[in-house]
Amino acid sequence: MKLLDKYNRINISVTVIIMLVTGVIYYFTIHAILTHQVDKALLVEEREVFDYVQLNHHLPQVFRTNHQEIIFTPANGPVQRKFIDTSYRDTKDQDMEPARAIITSVTVGSQLYKITVIQSTVETEDLIGDVFLITIILIVVLVIALFLSNRLILRRIWQPFYTILNQLKVFNLAEDKAVASVPSTIDEFTELDQAVGIMATKAKDDYLNLKAFTENAAHELMTPISVINSKLDTLVQTGQFSDSQSQLLNDIYNTVARLTRLNKSMLLLTKIENGLIHDQQNINLKELLSTSFWQYEELLGSLNIKLTTQLDDCEVQASPLLMEVLINNLISNAIRHNLPGGSITVSLDQQQLQISNSGKDGEIDIERVFKRFQKSSASEGIGLGLTICRQICNNYGFNLQYQFSQNTHHFTISFAVTE
Amino acid sequence: MIIEDEAGLRDSIEAYFTEEGNICETAHDFSSAMSKVNLYRYDCIVLDITLPKGSGLDILKHLKAGQQADGVLIISAKNSLDDRLTGLDLGADDYLTKPFHLSELRARVAAIVRRKAFNGNNILTLNEIFIDLTAKEVKINQTAVKFTRKEYSLLLYFIANKGKVVSKSAIAEHLWGDSIDIADNFDFIYSHIKNIRKKMVEAGGKDYIQAAYGMGYKFTDA
Repeated sequence: MKLLDKYNRINISVTVIIMLVTGVIYYFTIHAILTHQVDKALLVEEREVFDYVQLNHHLPQVFRTNHQEIIFTPANGPVQRKFIDTSYRDTKDQDMEPARAIITSVTVGSQLYKITVIQSTVETEDLIGDVFLITIILIVVLVIALFLSNRLILRRIWQPFYTILNQLKVFNLAEDKAVASVPSTIDEFTELDQAVGIMATKAKDDYLNLKAFTENAAHELMTPISVINSKLDTLVQTGQFSDSQSQLLNDIYNTVARLTRLNKSMLLLTKIENGLIHDQQNINLKELLSTSFWQYEELLGSLNIKLTTQLDDCEVQASPLLMEVLINNLISNAIRHNLPGGSITVSLDQQQLQISNSGKDGEIDIERVFKRFQKSSASEGIGLGLTICRQICNNYGFNLQYQFSQNTHHFTISFAVTE
Repeated sequence: MIIEDEAGLRDSIEAYFTEEGNICETAHDFSSAMSKVNLYRYDCIVLDITLPKGSGLDILKHLKAGQQADGVLIISAKNSLDDRLTGLDLGADDYLTKPFHLSELRARVAAIVRRKAFNGNNILTLNEIFIDLTAKEVKINQTAVKFTRKEYSLLLYFIANKGKVVSKSAIAEHLWGDSIDIADNFDFIYSHIKNIRKKMVEAGGKDYIQAAYGMGYKFTDA
């Protein structure tokens, strides 16, 4: 739930409850006051009757106005003096109206009379109704006003917050774009802005340091590896080796080669991420693919994999090295994760390159294998291949997609440059 | 001439190149390298870019400014393309990134030296073997022998490393590049080499290539 909604919900419900409670109290208070007024008027009437009886020793003439009626009835017993709520038939409209009455008694001569003075309270009720209506209208208007003003004020006041939030959403460590400061007159937001700024700077610094470290570490490793390599090359010149010794040497060679590839992949990845590869050229992907097939011909042949190609001319603007790595990685994966006697289909046109291969595994969790050093347990690779592929595609705005259907893995690169 | 600051690597390269009557000098830093290139001319200079007290690229610039014809092969731990392009733009003949196999370095140096020596008339002869490097044609005892691209490349590689044991891993890297997992290709090396040997023997040539202790192969001229 949005802050504004939450706030409004609480604020408005509290307001409505308070208003309703106030309204009820208000109603009863006004009702009581007005009833008291009517009672006073009735008392005045009673007093007038008493005065009249005292002066003239007979009952006054019964008259009837539109809102008031006095009735005298002879009483047999004592009459208790009290106020009652009753109803009253309007003389003009002939309809029943609420009324207030006082019942009292007067003695004329020896005869006791019960006096009932009835006063219509329709005007009072109307007044109360009006007051109540005004109160309700007031509540509604107030709630609407509150709702609108909250909306407006909160929007405006929280503007810096949303600006900061949007910046955080698009924040990317790898991008060379700082988080812009959002000035605000509100202390909390100023503090938030500063904290975000400091955090972003620190994260970037750490990230850069880490990248620099990776690159330097990989670089520094290259020299010892090349010494090992050259010493091995020298060692094998020195004479006779037994079978077990040559097996050991072979293993060392292979491991050094693996180490070299791992290191080179890491360096390459760091370089792409750092945007250090700029040698853009027009590259004919068809030629590049043919070279790659040529390189893999023995492997394809030995696994008896059927290669079907449908290649149109396609040129892209990119680094030759990166495109070579990209294509070799994808083709190599298509072979490595294939079945003996399986098939690979490669199609290339102006818009896209699709490499499909039959495979031994089911659908792969593509987001996982795009991460570093994630590979299937059966894979002999180093687990950076697809990471590098994706990074290269990102670098040039290509779209690398994966689909799995009918036991076939499809990797598609769309060249539509989205810049 | 080898200009390389890492002693281990420098010694290995020197040992690998010095046999067979080649003369090999070394320099370990910028100033000693500069004084040597100013005094002597070399067929080929193996040049490391990162040197103590200076950059290999400056030595290259100095050589080219002096219109020297020395072949230059840059070796660098930096796989950075900028260095590579700068190096080649400055007139280096080739570029090799560390780590590399000595046999690869030797093949590259041999190619540079050949190019410098023959001035385009690129013909390599060894006993009965005659290779036209421009046309990529091989004749043995005047009979043309058809080799595939990989076989041809492998033959040249062996001739450049005559008398040396060339490891399978070096062969795989030479044929398939380093982006490809080497172990995948060991079996194919065997069949390629078998084909080369068969074709050469069938054309009446000697069987030069021998397996060396299951680790690699050796081209012997004995």
